[in-house]
Amino acid sequence: MIALYALYPIGCVLQLIADETATGAALRIAGLSLVVAAFAAFAVLAGSSLQRQTQEPETVLDERELADRNRAAYQAHSVFAGIVLLSLIYLMLRQDLSDNRNLDLWTPATGDHWNAIFWGAVMLAMTLPAAFLAFRKFHPDEDIEQ
Amino acid sequence: MSRKELAEAVGVNPQTIGYLERGDYAPSVELALKIAAVFSAPVEALFSLEPFPPLARTLTKQGDS
Repeated sequence: MIALYALYPIGCVLQLIADETATGAALRIAGLSLVVAAFAAFAVLAGSSLQRQTQEPETVLDERELADRNRAAYQAHSVFAGIVLLSLIYLMLRQDLSDNRNLDLWTPATGDHWNAIFWGAVMLAMTLPAAFLAFRKFHPDEDIEQ
Repeated sequence: MSRKELAEAVGVNPQTIGYLERGDYAPSVELALKIAAVFSAPVEALFSLEPFPPLARTLTKQGDS
């Protein structure tokens, strides 16, 4: 989970700051490796029982699982909405301060930038409910045969 | 009776029985009544708003009286 949410943005930033020098090429490779690792973590989470719990029909889940899922969905919605709002505030400030030469804030400009943001948003939206379920699940390896 | 057997009897996931045993989840009235029916016991014998006293203390009190 931490790999998913930390490696992807770090990998994207490394690729963003990479220039045309040899160091830049190394940064680009390192950044790409982190993004690939994040997608691997995403694939593991997508196949987990937690991710299934967020998508199963209600008839398959019992009352505790439904309550947990509803709570996780609410928390994920709140966090995602918060991130979207902060991003909009940032873009709005960037627009308002665009005449100020002393404060040159970064904005996505190329297709690659928007691609990175889009796939980051997709991963976040798809996995946040499962992430909150995982944070709440204290006993994942419980022996059910007891 | 195992957790799995109890879970099948009341129609929940076995993990949910574990959550109930540990006090991590408060069941609905319907689930509490189903569990009580499985054990043929009153629901207040199985669930309480206050923590149950240790069994040893309960037995000691019964022995004194």
